[in-house]
Amino acid sequence: MNPVLSLQAVGKAFESGVPVLQDVSLNVAPGATVCLLGPSGCGKTTLLRLVAGFEEPDAGSIQLGGRQVSRPGHVVAPEKRQIGMVFQDYALFPHLTVAQNVQFGLFRRSAAQRRRRLADLLQLIGLEDMAARYPHELSGGQQQRVALARALAPGPQLLLLDEPFSNLDVNLRRQLRQEMQEVLRRTDMTTILVTHDQEEALSLADTLAILDQGHVVQVDTPEAIVQRPCSRFVAEFLALGHFLAGEIRDNCIATEMGSVRLAPGMTAVPEGHRRVDLLIPPECLSLCDNGRGARVQVVHVAFQGTRKLYTVRLPSGARLQGLCAHDAPLQTGAHVNVRYDPTVVIAFPSES
Amino acid sequence: MQGTAAVPASWLRHAGLRRPKPLSLIALAVALLIVMPLAYVVGNALLAPGQVWVQLWQGRVLELLFNTLRLAAGVAVVTLVCGVGLAWLVVRYDFPARRPWTWLLAAPLGIPPYIMAYVYTELFAYWGPLRPLVQRLLGSDAQLPALYDSFPGAVLVLGLATYPYVYLLSRAAFMRTNVAYEEAARLSGAGRRRAWLRVVLPMQRPAVAAGLFLVCLYVMADFGAVSILRYSTFTRAVYVQMTGRYDLMGAAALSLMLVLLSFAFFAAERHFRRRSRFFQTTAGYRPSGRTGLAGWRAILACGACAAVFGLAFGVPVAYLGVEAVSHVSQGALDAAFWGYARNSFLGAAAAATVAVACALPLAYVALRRPSRGHGLLLHAAYAGYVLPGPIIALGLIFCTAHLMTPVYGTVAVVVLAYMVRFFPQCLQAGEAALHQITPALEEAGRSAGAPLWRVLWRVTLPLMRPGLITGWVLVFVNAMKELPATLLLRPVGFDTLAVRIWIETSEEFYAQAAPAALLLILVTLPLLALALSYGSERRSTA
Repeated sequence: MNPVLSLQAVGKAFESGVPVLQDVSLNVAPGATVCLLGPSGCGKTTLLRLVAGFEEPDAGSIQLGGRQVSRPGHVVAPEKRQIGMVFQDYALFPHLTVAQNVQFGLFRRSAAQRRRRLADLLQLIGLEDMAARYPHELSGGQQQRVALARALAPGPQLLLLDEPFSNLDVNLRRQLRQEMQEVLRRTDMTTILVTHDQEEALSLADTLAILDQGHVVQVDTPEAIVQRPCSRFVAEFLALGHFLAGEIRDNCIATEMGSVRLAPGMTAVPEGHRRVDLLIPPECLSLCDNGRGARVQVVHVAFQGTRKLYTVRLPSGARLQGLCAHDAPLQTGAHVNVRYDPTVVIAFPSES
Repeated sequence: MQGTAAVPASWLRHAGLRRPKPLSLIALAVALLIVMPLAYVVGNALLAPGQVWVQLWQGRVLELLFNTLRLAAGVAVVTLVCGVGLAWLVVRYDFPARRPWTWLLAAPLGIPPYIMAYVYTELFAYWGPLRPLVQRLLGSDAQLPALYDSFPGAVLVLGLATYPYVYLLSRAAFMRTNVAYEEAARLSGAGRRRAWLRVVLPMQRPAVAAGLFLVCLYVMADFGAVSILRYSTFTRAVYVQMTGRYDLMGAAALSLMLVLLSFAFFAAERHFRRRSRFFQTTAGYRPSGRTGLAGWRAILACGACAAVFGLAFGVPVAYLGVEAVSHVSQGALDAAFWGYARNSFLGAAAAATVAVACALPLAYVALRRPSRGHGLLLHAAYAGYVLPGPIIALGLIFCTAHLMTPVYGTVAVVVLAYMVRFFPQCLQAGEAALHQITPALEEAGRSAGAPLWRVLWRVTLPLMRPGLITGWVLVFVNAMKELPATLLLRPVGFDTLAVRIWIETSEEFYAQAAPAALLLILVTLPLLALALSYGSERRSTA
């Protein structure tokens, strides 16, 4: 299937010359929900604005529905792209009612068509009786739904969501995320979502694109990225676990918690590089009460409802985190033995 | 080859002219129109033969400079005491009728300084109503001090006319000061007085200073009041050079000096206003409480408000009212009078409408497509701030004679002068209004499929409306009151209310001066109140 959106080697720099995006290539398949995830300042919002046509790329090109819409010196106007966008603060027109907001992009349709489309959309977002309200009379969640309806109204081929949940409190966020997922699924909308919230990204996306300092560093399904992060940055940004220093000797990696046999696919370390960091996810660290494993001190225990997240300090001072049952007798300051499951660890080249 | 081609391209890009769009070209045309009078004045001053400069130097340049600065400083002191003191009183204390006083104290803004000067010279005149009163109280040889030719007289009149600027700016600053700072100071052990001196007052400095610079600019640009009081400043000297001596070159040279002086003050004012922005946003803002006043303290507070309001507004309006009634009963409101009123109204309305229409594209490109070129256009359009009326008139005489001969000596030139002179206030209102509309609203409109013009029409303009109304009103009110440019540029027979007041006071024939002045005040006062309340509404919703 041809991608709805295709970016080829797109580059963009600030007026000062500082690069924001470098050599970004990305394809978005029809019906997919792609999530751009990265720390603030990584260029993800700029990427969205390039796709929307608010910015002009300095290099590369962007194709939308098989048509070239952006290249240096030539940008198809935003209104001619058939792209819907939900802005971070929603950008609802404060002087127009909900109905007028939703119908804003339908001015070329007949009055009857406008009415029908409005009714459909209000039903979709469940705000049928709010048509005559003004944005300031709505709650944050309702505003977000109206913004979504306005973006969907003209029937765009692509929907852009710029941190659409960042203004909402945590409980509302979860609920609206499910609602939005439902709406996107029902409308079979191709969507790009920008966020710095990994939970949001993991739960909404079927493709995740991780951005770091203007580069796309990994594109894959959320499951694949969590299981096989391609770099230490990705693992750290997704908070997949803590790191344990090690050294490659012959066919083993020696650490202060003992050696692991080097297995194929376990490491992305270049040939000849000896010092590595092992990613230890909390799930793979376990307490052992038979006297084996490494002797460590518990420095912190956080109760998480059904289980406990504990932090231990190794003799070298390095810290690791692990999960255990909520009723495990674990005291801060106590000494315990722990071991890790060598089949799920991943080695990255050491940065120090 | 490539290198040489790249240089102009990048240069053009920095100037915002890579693909000149219609809006950019319109903004450029507006800025050129605004700057032209200034350019002609400066050009002529620089081209003036050396002899002109020698004559001016041997003449009274130093004396004029001293007079002008002395007056500005004196008025600054009066407005500092009245403006800041009263603002502090109404913001931080509670006393009988506090609410009405907060608005009444701004009312003198509606009285042009030349009307204030006219009323007070009348009151203090030999034939005026004050002399018998004073003689009855102090004995028959008691004399009133002459307001003519006197420094204290000029300071008093201009101080009363301009203190509301400092009052309003200080009041706004006091009101948005988060009381948390004061509480933090008190909690860290500072007493009430120390907290006030070390924390509260320093935070107001930028706003107060901005108000004082505004007053100084105003005083330096004043023509009517100092002329009626016969106190010589640069602005009056430019007028005298043009009309008394028919020496346009000399007037241009004097103007250049005044423009440089005003520019220094303008730059200082901008500097302080930029610094005052730091203090405006704090999360968790809480206003300060008010201390209740009772007994003699309450009487004192009311008395202070009443005294300033009475001198600056009550006395002039009462005097004009009494005079107007007697003249109206003698038939002062004839067809000619209504003709002057119509001229004032139409000229000001035309100028305000043109100014708003011109401010829109300029503010839009400067804020929405920021670039060095657009920023330059915006700054240039603020030229009116440093151009007192006589200088704009001089510049327009030069450039209509050269470039725009068809409009020379027509009403269009008068309207243009109003527009150039008061454009900054309109532009500022427009800029502020646009600033509060997040660009995301326009982008949302575009991505919903609407072209730029439709988004501007449906989204941007409706949201800017309060700001545009404020801008229109400010230009209209000021143009109604404008005197020197009208005097110098008006075609024969185009007398406005302001011109009539001037003519009748200088010919000491007062039949229509009082009704004209009263009408002017009655028309401008409610409009000013409207503009001010719109402004404060915008601030409070932001």
